[in-house]
Amino acid sequence: MSRWSSLLVLVGVLLNAVVAGADTAPPLSLRILSSHTLNGTAGDYVTVHGTITDTGDAALSDITTYLSLVDTEAKLPVDLEDWSAEKGQYIGSMGVNQTLPLDWKIHFVKAGNYSLTIVAQSGAHDLPCVSPVTRFVVLPKVNLNPANVLPVAFLTPLVLLLLLFLATRIRKVEE
Amino acid sequence: MTRATTIWKKELRRELCTWKSSLWLVIASLLLSFTSYLLLTNKELSLLDQTELMWLLSKVIIGIALLVVTIEASGMIAGEFESGTAESVLLTPISLWGFVKGKFLSVLTLWAMLFVVSLPYIIVAAAGSGETLAFLAYAALLGTLVVIGFTAFVFALALFFRSSKNTLTTSLVVLLALAAPALFSGTLKSGPVLQTMSTINPIENVFAALDYILVDAKFSLLSNIQYLVPLLIFCVVTLLFLGYAVRTVSRQGVVQHE
Repeated sequence: MSRWSSLLVLVGVLLNAVVAGADTAPPLSLRILSSHTLNGTAGDYVTVHGTITDTGDAALSDITTYLSLVDTEAKLPVDLEDWSAEKGQYIGSMGVNQTLPLDWKIHFVKAGNYSLTIVAQSGAHDLPCVSPVTRFVVLPKVNLNPANVLPVAFLTPLVLLLLLFLATRIRKVEE
Repeated sequence: MTRATTIWKKELRRELCTWKSSLWLVIASLLLSFTSYLLLTNKELSLLDQTELMWLLSKVIIGIALLVVTIEASGMIAGEFESGTAESVLLTPISLWGFVKGKFLSVLTLWAMLFVVSLPYIIVAAAGSGETLAFLAYAALLGTLVVIGFTAFVFALALFFRSSKNTLTTSLVVLLALAAPALFSGTLKSGPVLQTMSTINPIENVFAALDYILVDAKFSLLSNIQYLVPLLIFCVVTLLFLGYAVRTVSRQGVVQHE
């Protein structure tokens, strides 16, 4: 009986190990070197500097990194269409202890509070590896020059109408 | 050229000295007033980068110019044939080339007038960005190139069709066909066929060049060569098409027998 129970325990341990292996994240370390709180105004550009390091004891392949941006007020992920030209960076293979730089130029499009993480995943692992969070506070852009545009917007059509009126009058007088 | 100038002056008098013929300029300025005021004061739109607002405004200016030029050019030559005045004009020492040149100059003058009207809006929108001169110079250059190309194309159609309605319909459909893909985002044009069409589409080239200049701050002519060369080729091809149309009409005669 004790032999059967020992065998069952051994099978259980082995199964557990197999399942746990399938759900592991790649041994990667993602760091954000720039400040963990970035402030700016809508329209500004900032560059997020980061690094990715293979901390395991074997080379990794098929590594992809990408940004994840969340609007912390709306509690919704943000479509990066206008925020960054490079939504993802394909790394490919990495050697043991190799470190590579990751730079993302980000355009602050809309005012609000956001949290950003860099995510990395490898083809051989089922879980992604995530960097610490960087928080953005994007302030609204003050209107550019409403004081200047209003007179132009009103006066230009009026001046044109006046010129048109004068041109028609002159033509009638000439005739 | 003096004979072409006579046609040009006659056309301008007809186009500008009456209320009805010049009202489009006032309406265009109202449209630019509305657009620039909205871009600079609307809460959501004013969150955009200033250079992107300038790019949007430049697209509106070029868009209005293309629409006005297409409509005006469609009627200028075909209208003369329809009303029978083309024969009388061409019985004078004015050649068909001189006639077309005069009309061409008046279309370019209409574009110049629209550009002058848009100057205050450009200056206000670009104030403080340091890109006012680049905005003015490139809007003038790119606008002139695309206007020359479209005018030549519409005039050639008008010479072949000799009907304002048919010329206008065909020209507007072509304008729409070229303008529609320019409004799509780059991700929708990933295939080689769509990329090639984007490269040769004059309207897409103008919008992409303005984006590159105003938003990405690439001011030199050399850095914009990938947009300028296709535009120049477009102008040359449409001018050759116009030349072919003039030669064909000269050979066949102005009066068409049923």
